[in-house]
Amino acid sequence: MTTLDRLLGLQDRIVRYRISWAQLAWFGHRASGIGVVLYLFVHIVETSMVTLGPNVYNTTLGLFHNLPVRLGEILLMAALVYHSLNGLRVIAMDFWPHLTVYYRGLTYAVVTSTAVAMIPLALIMITPYAPWGHG
Amino acid sequence: MTRLRTIYVSRQNPSRAARVRPENPGFERFMWWFMRLSGLALVILALGHMLIMHVLVQITGQQVDYGFVTSRWGTPFWRIYDFLLLVLALIHGVNGTRIVIGDFVSRGGLRALLLVSLGALTVLWMILGMIVIMGFNPATSPPVGPFS
Repeated sequence: MTTLDRLLGLQDRIVRYRISWAQLAWFGHRASGIGVVLYLFVHIVETSMVTLGPNVYNTTLGLFHNLPVRLGEILLMAALVYHSLNGLRVIAMDFWPHLTVYYRGLTYAVVTSTAVAMIPLALIMITPYAPWGHG
Repeated sequence: MTRLRTIYVSRQNPSRAARVRPENPGFERFMWWFMRLSGLALVILALGHMLIMHVLVQITGQQVDYGFVTSRWGTPFWRIYDFLLLVLALIHGVNGTRIVIGDFVSRGGLRALLLVSLGALTVLWMILGMIVIMGFNPATSPPVGPFS
């Protein structure tokens, strides 16, 4: 019985099949991709305000300077890091099919690396709103 | 037995999280390659962009504002970098969205509406982004805006 099986003990009542790492990795790739592309559409409009001069642009950026948006940006960073690492795994397995044997290990590596990378990244990004940020 | 079967399956769809490479040349096969090649480039371009704008700026005590963008886009390097990022990320993201819509929306009318809207939005946003990155000129942008 894997950790995942234990964690998802409840899911038997939701769907009648065992959710696998493959499905979670696939779902995570799609969810993070959709999240990033939605942000991209907002970001293009936000950046286009630069053509209207310093006042408009700096005021627009001011709309993004608050804690909820910053938490969203940290989530965006996590989505991008996961999508990048998982995408590299997909590419590697497409071009070297023998890696399929290590499928589970590679997926663990992607999830673990994302989590580990996000610790310093999140700490740095939250700085303006953290107790240590007012020094 | 299990291992043999895994390898057999893998020949058709090794990554399992992605699509099988389309056999016939054409748009779908082109996009299969495009997603992988642009993905490799975007690992550098998009992660680099995020690290510069959100992490390095924070560490060095700077702030992204009008002056920051003006000096950044004062060099052709960053204009080309951002132009490549815009084009590759938008096409990569929109193609991914197209595939997700195709997988989840089976009703013909709704699917067609979503895909046509997605295409139209993409063309508009691509033109807007290109105009801004290539055409931005601090000398001609208005010094005072409606929010001042």
